[in-house]
Amino acid sequence: MSREGATAQNGADGDRVFELAVGRLLGIGVALSSICLAAGLAMTLVTASSRATGALLSTGLWLLMATPAARVVLSAVSYARRRDWLFVSLTLIVFLELAASVVVAFRR
Amino acid sequence: MPSVTLPLVVIIFGSGAMAGCVGSMLGLGGGVFLVPLLNLALGFPLRTAAAISLCTVIATSSSVSAGRAGTQLINLRLGMVLEVATVAGSLLGGLTAHLFSEAALQRLFAVVAILTAIAVLSRIHRRNVILDPSVQPGALGGRFFDEEIGATVTYRVKRLPVGLAASFAAGNVSSLLGLGGGILKVPALNTWCGVPVRAAAATSAFMIGVTATGGAIIYYGHGDLPAALAAPAVLGVQLGSWAGLRLAERVSARWLKLLLVGILLVVAGLMFLRSAR
Repeated sequence: MSREGATAQNGADGDRVFELAVGRLLGIGVALSSICLAAGLAMTLVTASSRATGALLSTGLWLLMATPAARVVLSAVSYARRRDWLFVSLTLIVFLELAASVVVAFRR
Repeated sequence: MPSVTLPLVVIIFGSGAMAGCVGSMLGLGGGVFLVPLLNLALGFPLRTAAAISLCTVIATSSSVSAGRAGTQLINLRLGMVLEVATVAGSLLGGLTAHLFSEAALQRLFAVVAILTAIAVLSRIHRRNVILDPSVQPGALGGRFFDEEIGATVTYRVKRLPVGLAASFAAGNVSSLLGLGGGILKVPALNTWCGVPVRAAAATSAFMIGVTATGGAIIYYGHGDLPAALAAPAVLGVQLGSWAGLRLAERVSARWLKLLLVGILLVVAGLMFLRSAR
């Protein structure tokens, strides 16, 4: 892989470090959520559904959905560090759109 | 909603595994198989099927992108720009999902399944866009090492508005029907925006997690997402797509694509039939 070629343009080096951080975050998020979902599911099948199983399952779902949202926040922070204000704005717009989804989902 | 029993959990896990396996063999999310299984075979309302499928889409997006990080196949900048449109689309889809009847959603699903079949068929012989190696990637373009051709590929992004429009539509279809929407984005990014297929697919798979989250959270808040039924689907799809990636190397892509086209047309037919009842 020609790193030199890749790094020559538009801050691609920062992008590579950032890409690895994003990958780690996504991997950890999906692993944690799967563990919660598997444990919650096993408990639902073994015991009657209780408060604890419900909490495990919903924690699993929340972790699943929070992972991409956390990735958006991480992106905004990373672009802010590099003073790339256009991309800070874009990632913040995406975050606000997600926040709007939460509002739509839970307004009564 | 049916009560959570061991047989049902096993069936959903199996459906997820099957959908994930076929999906990853073909570079699709698997939602296009999972939604009809849940809706037509198990009789879940399409909204619930879509909500469960969106959870599997998020999981697939996160784990696939985690595995690809560092290869520079994912165009992060382009992804961020297109996400603005795709998440807006998914928000609109989530807001309007309850306005559509079950039959209308089924007909829309049938149409998307047919479009997917056409997109797959048209790509059966085509390899890729031919790229000029001397090109400068510009602000949004990218550069990655393509193992298939053994060289570094550089590309520029052309006609960004087309990419934004396709992403908006993909986000909308995604939250209405529980699909990733890659089937709209990848051909559009490749054909009109000049992004090589592998980079387009990786970038689309990366974006899908955020898009599906926007849709899934709305279904969850509205009570259409039963966690105990989503859990086996999420776990099944992850197992299935892991297996599919390993099987893909041994199976002829052409045969697989023809099989997929057959399945999609059957799914479309069944959805049309069911919507007419």
